[in-house]
Amino acid sequence: MMKIIRKLALGLTVAAATQMTYAADTGFDMQTVDPEADRIALQKYYKSRFPNTELADYVNGIYSVDADSREQWVELEEFPPYEFDVEQGEELFNTAFANGKGYADCFENGGIGIRHKYPYWNKEEGTVKTLEQEINECRVKNGEEALKWSKGPIAQISAYMAWTSRDKVFDIQIPEDDPRAKAAYLEGKKFFYSKRGQLNLSCANCHLQGSNIRIRADLPGPQLGHVTHFPVFRSKWGELGTLHRRYSGCHRDSRSHPLKPQAEEFRNLEYFQSYMSNGLVANGPGARK
Amino acid sequence: MNKGLIIAAVLALAPTFAAAESFQDAFEMNRAMYGKDHVFTWQGKQYTTQHEEEAEAAVKATKANAEALLDKAKAKNAEVAELGYEWKLTRGLLKEAQTAIDEGDYQKALNLAAQAKYHARMGIQQYHYAQANWHLAVPQ
Repeated sequence: MMKIIRKLALGLTVAAATQMTYAADTGFDMQTVDPEADRIALQKYYKSRFPNTELADYVNGIYSVDADSREQWVELEEFPPYEFDVEQGEELFNTAFANGKGYADCFENGGIGIRHKYPYWNKEEGTVKTLEQEINECRVKNGEEALKWSKGPIAQISAYMAWTSRDKVFDIQIPEDDPRAKAAYLEGKKFFYSKRGQLNLSCANCHLQGSNIRIRADLPGPQLGHVTHFPVFRSKWGELGTLHRRYSGCHRDSRSHPLKPQAEEFRNLEYFQSYMSNGLVANGPGARK
Repeated sequence: MNKGLIIAAVLALAPTFAAAESFQDAFEMNRAMYGKDHVFTWQGKQYTTQHEEEAEAAVKATKANAEALLDKAKAKNAEVAELGYEWKLTRGLLKEAQTAIDEGDYQKALNLAAQAKYHARMGIQQYHYAQANWHLAVPQ
């Protein structure tokens, strides 16, 4: 009898341990969420999925894991399709507003080499701030009209600012003295992993489990390094677009009623995704299919 | 396998088997296999594979009935939108249902409103599923 009880106890312990392992370590609520554990777990996941890809190469999206796509992309980069947009963005960036001031007056270091610091948690406003958001705030503060969010001048200015930040390492901070920052991160994480829309798809379905697995003719890029190369010149668009344009498009593709660019949910998502890219370099603007 | 481990395995897997017999699963399996209006038995009672919206649309095609179902669909969609899980096509369906009412095609309006309400109800269900399960997809 004692022998059976001992074995039963052993069996239950094994079963319980399995459940506990499954219940995870990276945290799913405010008490347990651990962004750094998330980042390390994500890197480990990709190391296991694509053992031949160097961590630093994930900034190149799908081209880091699919050799055929990479070959085409390397050729494309000989004459980068975003080149004229960077030039145009520089011109716009340096054109003074009607009041004589300019974008350089609104940003740290005159707006040069700062892309990798975005998005960040703004304690005073209690929200995540993105680069494009602050470009428009700069305009409004100086008496100019806000630009449209998804493409055109705002993407060009953002592309120029990204260009001046190339090779700078992402180091997104989640200040510990303000729990709202961690809450925003957690909301972004939750958004990424939650299935939604008529097609019942989460961001993770395509960009984590579905990395480099065909969705019809497309190969979704990995979540790791996903945001480093934005804004991007996307062949499908035939022009430059912002990260939030892509977010809206993906959201719509899942047959959800799409959120608008710069919605709080998208800014939190960007916060989470950018934190996941900490340690990788900014390499925007990029060229994608 | 020895007795202790067998009992432990049964205990560990029991919730899984219980979950596999939920009404939702039984309904969806029968609906997928036999389509609507099929009668199936779950836990000793009989049910049909009709969605609640299909039942709501199977009323007399009058303006009042069409408007009532459209109102219910709009309310349900407002509920799912509040949760952030509104589906893409629902607003279009609601508009088309209103147009059908305006044109006097009440059966079409009932069908469209039922479809819109179904989308909204599924979105709400999806929201609750996500709340309970999103963490399962996170790499550890």
